[in-house]
Amino acid sequence: MLEIEHLVTGYGGVPVLQDVSLTLAAGEIVGLLGANNAGKTTLINSLSGVYAPMSGRILFEGADVTALTPRERVELGIVQVPEGRLVFPDMSVRENLLLGGINRRARPGRARQMEHVLELFPRMKERLSQDAGTLSGGEQQMLAIGRALMAEARILMLDEPSLGLSPLFVQYIFGIIDKLHAEGLTILLVEQNLNLTLRHAQRCYVLERGRVAIEGPADAIKNDPRTRSAYLGL
Amino acid sequence: MAEFLQALTQGLLIGSTYGLLALGMGLVYGVSGVVNFAHGDFIALGMFMCLALYSALSLDPYVSIIITVPVMMGIGALVYRYLLRPMVGYKFLMIVQLTLGLSLVLQNGILMVFGGQPARTPSAVESKLWILGEVVMRVPHVIAFVVSFALAIGLYVMLRSTDFGRSIRAVHQNAHAASLMGIDVGRVQVLTFALGIGILAIAAALLLPGTPIQPTMGLRYTVITLLVVVLGGMTNFVGIMLGGLVIGISEAFGTIYLSDILGMLLPYGIFVLIMLFRPQGLTWGAAR
Ligand SMILES: Nc1ncnc2c1ncn2[C@@H]1O[C@H](COP(=O)(O)OP(=O)(O)OP(=O)(O)O)[C@@H](O)[C@H]1O
Ligand SMILES: [Mg+2]
Repeated sequence: MLEIEHLVTGYGGVPVLQDVSLTLAAGEIVGLLGANNAGKTTLINSLSGVYAPMSGRILFEGADVTALTPRERVELGIVQVPEGRLVFPDMSVRENLLLGGINRRARPGRARQMEHVLELFPRMKERLSQDAGTLSGGEQQMLAIGRALMAEARILMLDEPSLGLSPLFVQYIFGIIDKLHAEGLTILLVEQNLNLTLRHAQRCYVLERGRVAIEGPADAIKNDPRTRSAYLGL
Repeated sequence: MAEFLQALTQGLLIGSTYGLLALGMGLVYGVSGVVNFAHGDFIALGMFMCLALYSALSLDPYVSIIITVPVMMGIGALVYRYLLRPMVGYKFLMIVQLTLGLSLVLQNGILMVFGGQPARTPSAVESKLWILGEVVMRVPHVIAFVVSFALAIGLYVMLRSTDFGRSIRAVHQNAHAASLMGIDVGRVQVLTFALGIGILAIAAALLLPGTPIQPTMGLRYTVITLLVVVLGGMTNFVGIMLGGLVIGISEAFGTIYLSDILGMLLPYGIFVLIMLFRPQGLTWGAAR
């Protein structure tokens, strides 16, 4: 469904991602692991079209989307839940969700999609008119995921959804991720948390200083001695 | 007492339009960080366009807005797209210099076309008065008040309950996150700037009746708008409207109770005083 071919992305001419290739089949849940500064967020933002790559291609369902704007990619259903959640703090939960579904493809079905999201997160239903900035971290993560689902995501990219959450919330959020996967959504899960990701993803890529160091099924990655060293940056 | 009521009324009437001017600037600042120092010159441009339309077609300024609003919005969109946008995100000072340059271009452009003599644009209601007890109101002021508040309320409702309005607020709160929603941030910035300039075209017609116009008059409006926006806390809707009323009222009291020069200084004095005690402006965290 998604293919990244030899992607090089950087800031101010200095490459951060160096020749990254990665594939994601429809319905798959793939983990993208890596230590601090490995380039995970840079990769996700490249997929969202925030940065133009220096070279390489991104294919979505066989079509080259490398030159598309962020808006056009959202309209295709390539949607991310950003690192740090980035909910709109001075807007209500309801307005945040409406904004999630503001793209041309999702807008007509927003009301129906909202019901679906509120079913998934009953807690958001109770807080519909509360400002997002007053939610707890875990609730903001729910909102950020709900907001991405409002866009009628076809590929959901989650950037460190466990970041800064209590263990209970982490469990809850990963339960939701499993549920979305079971419903058939294609998911790219970016995490620093190794064990957590290996438990929920089918396949994984380990990014080390902008390169794919290891890739394979979760079990293989778990037992690969290189994994720990990539992690510790040795 | 009559004098007091007179000053208060006059200040409220004019202050509402100042608030409207400042809303335009605040919106633009909120989505793109641009403070437009040519703000007042666009008002002057709007007024001179009304003058031209009166000379050519004897249109009343209130009718002319049918033409000036779309034309000025178009100019605003082009100015933002080709002049300001390439600079947005760079040093704030560059934007200031650029808009100051734009101010000079507009002033001299108007000077070249219309000459430097003060001119007037007549309107049917120009000298009509409205007398309420002891208070005498000029009808153009009353119209300005009603239209300004109606527009302010319209803007508020637009920001709160339309997709475009929510996009504006989203870009203001987090432009990166907004783009991840599929909002075209650049487009929202262009449209907001155009909207701000369109508001100025309306404000120009509201302020025009009875006002002698000259090419350099814009600076005064720029300064007043800046005072109001800062008083209002830059992006706070209610704060900005309040700021407009405060400046309008202090101006009216200054001209009625004090001598000419001193009276004109009163708004600035009040501004400095308020900023000393409430540097964050008149806001208390209401509507964004
Ligand atoms: N906007 C930016 N401008 C310049 N350099 C950047 C920018 N964003 C990231 N970088 C650099 O790119 C490299 C990769 O950063 P990135 O945020 O992609 O890493 P990450 O794997 O997401 O890290 P983390 O786990 O901390 O989120 C880092 O060295 C970082 O300093
Ligand atoms: Mg990151």
